[in-house]
Amino acid sequence: MRKKSRQAQTKKTGRTKSSRKVSAKKVSSKVKAAPRIPLLTRNIERDRRQSFRAKIDRLRRRLLILEHQSAEGKGERQLVREVAKIESEIQRLEERASFYPAPHKKLEESAFSFPSGYGDHKIVLLVRDPWWIHAYWEVNREVEERTLHAMREKGLSPQKSVLRVYDVTGIDFNGRNAHRFFDIGVSGLAKNWYIEVGEPNRDFIVDLGIVAHDGSFHLLCRSNRVTTPRFGMSEVVDEEWMTSEDDYWKLFGLSGGYGIGKSSLEMKEFFKKHLLEQVSSGGASGFASFFKMKEKERSFWLKVDCELIVYGATDPKASVSVQHQPIRLNPDGTFSLRYTLPDGKQEIKIEAKSPDEVETRRVSPIVTRQTV
Amino acid sequence: MEKGYLAIVLHAHLPYVRHPEHEFFLEEHWLFEALTETYLPLIDIFDKLIEDRVDFRITLSLSPTLLSMLLDPLLQGRYLRHLDKLLRLTEQEIERTRWQPEFHKLALLYHHRFQKARFLFADRYQKHLLQAFKRYQDLGVVELITCGATHGYLPLTSLYRSAVRAQVGTAVTLYRSVFGQNPKGFWLPECGYHPGDDEVLKEFHIKYFFVDTHGILFGSPRPKFGIFAPVYCRSGVACFGRDMESSKSVWSAIEGYPGDHNYRDFYRDIGYDLEFDYIRPYISPDGHRMNTGIKYFKITGETDEKAPYVPEAALKKAAEHAGNFMFNREKQAEHLERIMGRQPIVVAPYDAELFGHWWFEGPDWLNFLIRKIHYDQKAIKLITPSEYLKRYPKNQVMTPSLSSWGWKGYSEVWLEGSNDWIYRHLHKMTEKMIEMANAYKAPTALERRVLNQMARELLLAQSSDWAFILKTGTFVPYANKRIQDHAARFDRLYHDLKNHAVDEGLLSEIEGKDALFPQIDYRIYAS
Repeated sequence: MRKKSRQAQTKKTGRTKSSRKVSAKKVSSKVKAAPRIPLLTRNIERDRRQSFRAKIDRLRRRLLILEHQSAEGKGERQLVREVAKIESEIQRLEERASFYPAPHKKLEESAFSFPSGYGDHKIVLLVRDPWWIHAYWEVNREVEERTLHAMREKGLSPQKSVLRVYDVTGIDFNGRNAHRFFDIGVSGLAKNWYIEVGEPNRDFIVDLGIVAHDGSFHLLCRSNRVTTPRFGMSEVVDEEWMTSEDDYWKLFGLSGGYGIGKSSLEMKEFFKKHLLEQVSSGGASGFASFFKMKEKERSFWLKVDCELIVYGATDPKASVSVQHQPIRLNPDGTFSLRYTLPDGKQEIKIEAKSPDEVETRRVSPIVTRQTV
Repeated sequence: MEKGYLAIVLHAHLPYVRHPEHEFFLEEHWLFEALTETYLPLIDIFDKLIEDRVDFRITLSLSPTLLSMLLDPLLQGRYLRHLDKLLRLTEQEIERTRWQPEFHKLALLYHHRFQKARFLFADRYQKHLLQAFKRYQDLGVVELITCGATHGYLPLTSLYRSAVRAQVGTAVTLYRSVFGQNPKGFWLPECGYHPGDDEVLKEFHIKYFFVDTHGILFGSPRPKFGIFAPVYCRSGVACFGRDMESSKSVWSAIEGYPGDHNYRDFYRDIGYDLEFDYIRPYISPDGHRMNTGIKYFKITGETDEKAPYVPEAALKKAAEHAGNFMFNREKQAEHLERIMGRQPIVVAPYDAELFGHWWFEGPDWLNFLIRKIHYDQKAIKLITPSEYLKRYPKNQVMTPSLSSWGWKGYSEVWLEGSNDWIYRHLHKMTEKMIEMANAYKAPTALERRVLNQMARELLLAQSSDWAFILKTGTFVPYANKRIQDHAARFDRLYHDLKNHAVDEGLLSEIEGKDALFPQIDYRIYAS
């Protein structure tokens, strides 16, 4: 749209066109002369490109204002001149900016945000442990509206959204033949829920729906089927690999280091405790330790230590020793050494020999540290 | 004749962290630290064991993301640069501590360790550490196994069989191209097992995998031998269960060996302790203090007044602990063999990074243990799972139970308030990936590149590490950034492809950033 109105403007004034040509010529000669930009200056390039773009944007905004004013019929001739000037300036800037082309359409990952929904209509179950499952869902507005509409047609008023949790163990579920079900009221804003089913080794399906004031349930969407894991010994015994319950718990106890002779109930409790202490990957060691920060120290503390810096300079070609150990000089003949300084008296013997080994200079500072 | 077998399984994994766009990147130091403190010390030990003709067996899982980083020239170069910097720091430390013999000695020790690391990495193995591991495998002492391509936690992925297949298949392809054979075993990330996932392992000719103790104990039918013998899933893939007793003695913060007061303290690091201007060149360029790996104190006890570390005393302790561990395994094997009427296998899996990184003396402990088992006793023998299966091919058939080795034994670590929001997006990305894999049966070369990169982005977003970091609460911005980066890249590529507007420049840039799995094939997602 902006482009269109600009074209309309240029039609009004022949001068704009000609001035644009002139500037374009100038620019094209500059293009040839422009040196290739080395890789290292990429950032400068980018900054320039951005500053050109910013200027162009400012001019465009000014142009829009002028166009607006011209539509109101104010100072026609003066406006035309200003528009022409701005247009040629934009042209000039755009061509200069093109010296610094964007490599390609950038992707700013940090500008990406996850959508709040995908327009789906579904509810998904995930198993957390033998007692808990997790549901997340997304309700399609249209489907919801249709359902609500159908309810109203029947004279039913919607009361609340619920999750209807069915125990469908061993059942080919048709919506009505579950062993049992229970409802969880959820607010319209909730999008996921942790459901305590409380029973290991059972199959569950969850319906998300609307309950009407008469208690009738109106389905929105139905979940996948999940099975909570068994927590305890299987009742199924393999004939070929027959094992008694006693033997089972014996080996169980051995594998946990709990000893032999506990009841199965006790064992289960022991095992639950064991899983709570499980540190392998939720805890303190191995890969997890990369995420351990320094432990919090006590709330208040004070630590003090002393270091000593010994420095000096001599002829760059001289040989220097500190505490009888030769040291390396910087190219300009300076040196700097750093020591932890324990309590007590330290004598630092520094000796320099001239390059021709004729002269020797000795300096020995004595430092005493006393911590009280 | 030995009474039973011990299978030590080390799982080495780090998430894929590689940022060519930055000169310095804090999280890349996870790899550097693990190299210096764990992987190179292990290589040093294995080399010497072979030199000394000590017969041993270790099962080592190298996660595909770790493998990819070890293969990466950029990271290899950066590691060398990092080591050189550490060497300069230790040179300074040797000077600085001259008047404090107890620290001076330690400065020398670190200097020698870093020199050793440099020698192994740059000279002996010419930056290609995988050659070392391949050699161990060829010699038959180490069994290398693989793991989910990006360490995706499978029980929360299992809704889509093809997503599980991509995690497994991509890993197997990489393994084959690096080691020239099919992996025998598979480490399920976090030991996360969902019944039926073994069928996918079967498709890729995997022979065995591991679950946590309760995966087998609560399996059905009732396991006759508990976790002291493998079972076969109905797919025919064998499953080994973790032994709790041997795990606990190493893992446990309370009863475990690593808590001994003589061992080196993990937290006191000169990166935090020393004067700012002095340490500045060796910490984050923005001035944030960080670990250097140079630590001068021992655990000492429940006190802030830490005493200087004494390496000789610590080493003595490690030998003692190795002896204790071996003794307990001997007794365990003898006892079990009597009950079972066959030789038991005790499976002791650990995160590899526990050894050296967290537990400084861990590699020494392992070294002592291996040598003691070889020289000092006859009751137990080290074994790999595939060797045990050869010896005992007849095992009970059962379905293991859903389980993981995470806190509380199931999925709660990766599915809780801080991280549950990611699954709806991961699942949606999976659906889009399947949609595209089904739609593009005969892509052009450029389209194929886009589709393969989309698969990489999805896999990277699935790393269990991000969910784990969100839960633990440190490095959270980084985990968020990674999930967002991969989702953004995936989303852009998906839409560009759909709109027939693929930007090759952008594609190349993304390929350059997430540059792993060169042989990936997106068609694995087709349903």
